Amino acid sequence: MRFMMLMIPGGYETAAPGTVPEDVERVALMMAYNKALMDAGVLITCDGLHPPSMGARVSFPSGKPVVTDGPFAESKEVLGGYWMIDVASRDEAIAWASRCPATPNEVIEIRQVQEMADYPEDVQAVASGFEEMQTTAKRLG
Amino acid sequence: MRFMVIVHANKDTEAGVMPTTELLTAMGKFNEEMCNAGVMQAGEGLHPTSKGARIAFTGSEPVVKQGPFDVTRDLIAGFWLIDVASKDEAIAWMKRAPFAAGDEIEIRQVFAAEDFGDALTPELREKEERLRAQAAKK
Repeated sequence: MRFMMLMIPGGYETAAPGTVPEDVERVALMMAYNKALMDAGVLITCDGLHPPSMGARVSFPSGKPVVTDGPFAESKEVLGGYWMIDVASRDEAIAWASRCPATPNEVIEIRQVQEMADYPEDVQAVASGFEEMQTTAKRLG
Repeated sequence: MRFMVIVHANKDTEAGVMPTTELLTAMGKFNEEMCNAGVMQAGEGLHPTSKGARIAFTGSEPVVKQGPFDVTRDLIAGFWLIDVASKDEAIAWMKRAPFAAGDEIEIRQVFAAEDFGDALTPELREKEERLRAQAAKK
């Protein structure tokens, strides 16, 4: 089963543009954790995200796209980064997240990724090209 | 530049309402266009937070809280990873996404190794690159 571990760092919603991790010790700790995930054959991918102040939102209030530049005043929780992992159960995902060298302002949310087999048959029929598309995307990426 | 496009949750996604055939067809076409243009790297939908959990690190031991979580605009329902030349290009692609009235997506740039400066020492950087190469083989 694939899970996303969503890292939600408190305060990141108001981080200035260009904010990056500067604490070498903490980056080293996080790298050791990433390596443990990798050595266990669990890690699929992971990334960090620039703060929302550098981002944008596209909303579709009447169906037509409206662009708003970040930061977003109404956000209380924002994504700082994520890991995609492949484990046998939700409990195993929680166990991995619990081992993360996270700080007191950080929360990790565990969410299961939808697989084709999770969809009803008629939906699967329409979405049948999707897995092939993902493989192609990976090859190009 | 890589960007993560975050699709925000709403009452329907949190209730596990599946998209209509019409929407899936439109979304499939959009994904195909992004693939053909060499833009799309990944795209996934997530199960509702009722099947998820949160781990908080406020004390000495991590605290696990079981979902569901309150439906706010901050919850996530899915995402894409795209590779484009600029934020404007990312926005231009996503304006074409076949979303319904009331939907909202967020565009966030992904950190690259050069963004970290001195905190990512040459040793850590090498380790990171090795790790990515191995994970990609999976």
